[in-house]
Amino acid sequence: MGVEVMADVLNTVIYNTITVWDVLVVIVVVILAIIIAKIVTLNLKKILSDKVKKDVLEIIIKIVNYGIILIAFLAVLPQLNIDLSGLLVAGGIAGLVIGFASQSVVANLVSGLFLMIERPIRIGDQISIEGVSGFVEDIHIFSTIIRTYDGIYIRIPNEKVFTSNITNYVANVARRFEYLIGIRYADDADKAIEIIKKVIDAHPFALKNPSPTIFVDELGDSSVNIRVRIWAPSTVWYDVKMELLWKIKVELERNGIEIPFPQRVIWFGDKGGVKVESGKDIPA
Amino acid sequence: MYGVYDYDFKFENQEITVGVEKRGGFLRYFRSLKNGSDNVEKILASDTGKIIVNPVEPLNLPKEITNYLEIEFEPIVIEPNSYRKVYLKFPIEIGVFAATKKSIDILDIFSLNNQKYSLYGPPDSGVICRWYKSDVFAGIPKTEILKEGVIELNIQNTSHEWVEMRRIVFESYGMKIYYNDIVSMVAVVKIINRMVAETNFINKPIKDGMKKALELYTARRIPVVERKGFLMEWGLK
Repeated sequence: MGVEVMADVLNTVIYNTITVWDVLVVIVVVILAIIIAKIVTLNLKKILSDKVKKDVLEIIIKIVNYGIILIAFLAVLPQLNIDLSGLLVAGGIAGLVIGFASQSVVANLVSGLFLMIERPIRIGDQISIEGVSGFVEDIHIFSTIIRTYDGIYIRIPNEKVFTSNITNYVANVARRFEYLIGIRYADDADKAIEIIKKVIDAHPFALKNPSPTIFVDELGDSSVNIRVRIWAPSTVWYDVKMELLWKIKVELERNGIEIPFPQRVIWFGDKGGVKVESGKDIPA
Repeated sequence: MYGVYDYDFKFENQEITVGVEKRGGFLRYFRSLKNGSDNVEKILASDTGKIIVNPVEPLNLPKEITNYLEIEFEPIVIEPNSYRKVYLKFPIEIGVFAATKKSIDILDIFSLNNQKYSLYGPPDSGVICRWYKSDVFAGIPKTEILKEGVIELNIQNTSHEWVEMRRIVFESYGMKIYYNDIVSMVAVVKIINRMVAETNFINKPIKDGMKKALELYTARRIPVVERKGFLMEWGLK
């Protein structure tokens, strides 16, 4: 009796010739495909995590995951009496309608695919897009996830990423940064350059080649300005930048070279017979 | 200092103190450099292990950022289709490993040298290298065993032109370090033309009776695809 009821339920036609049984088969196959995809991707992660770069691995895993589910779904579609060739013809018109309706979704998808092929950014890179700076956390099919330096989650649609100017701070293995250091006119600029050079040479990550350049760049209003340009590995350049400036300042002062405050020499008219220089009192 | 020790290991000289001692109910690994710049202390939750101390690939300090070692030396001009053997010095980093019968792990890495890094090639496609300057020697030079090792460099100029060489770049994965009274590696550089050469390490000691150092990527269980060496394609000068 119970079996007959069950058989009746399963053979109940839902739509056209599609029965509850057909729908159940589709659901079970898709769930199985999801489980298989999960198992395969987990194992892939275990096997490849040491051998393949993280960003490449993420892409491989996504392709395998969606690939397994898509194949299973296409394989089980005949169960619903869906003829794919017919679907393609019918899909022509439907595709146009859906295409217009989901233009931005498709644009994001296509941009995502191009981003994965062109790879201007990779997971873990430090980038800046449209004023958003931080680490690339993930590149999805439709969007890119950024973790800002403040630790904030930002999702940027891939279309925006693809059509924007992207600054990737670590795409090249080395990068240059610079300081402008002012010393007093009374100080010896050659000695200052020598001191700065020694401080830079002592830092492991201030690169030997390309060598740093240190030169008097301008004779400023209040100081002789020394331009310091240093190359550092992209992965640590900001640490180097933060460490070196203070070390240079301390070392210059230890050698009697000071960084002056802004100053101005003031001349009074000859009538009074008084000339005053900043910091000095000259009696008339 | 290099070797395998029980948990009563201690080494001290003018520059460094390193060892294991029982204090506060725990075994503690400690290491201090006499210039005071860098001290390490760790509790060892172990009873049966050993301590292994040996030279490791010099690419870990102050922070691991590259797999390449560049040695700059006085220019060597090599005649066409010739072979020459020279010796260079390379910097040493010292690895301290905690080992049981089934497992080895790195406990500490330190160095008595200063580190310097450099870029070989252009910024967009070159490589960051640990940089070291060495003299060129005709025979095995004297070294401070805790600071420097010796590379036997076998230079093969396979090109039909004179080639000037003043730097060499190695990839760390193939480094085979041996030690006893000196630390050594044996390497080959095959010069293809004035701009390009291929560097490789040979897994053999510089002289008989040397012991092979434990490699870091073995201790870290990093699977490595066997490579054919490093291709220096951005010049030899």
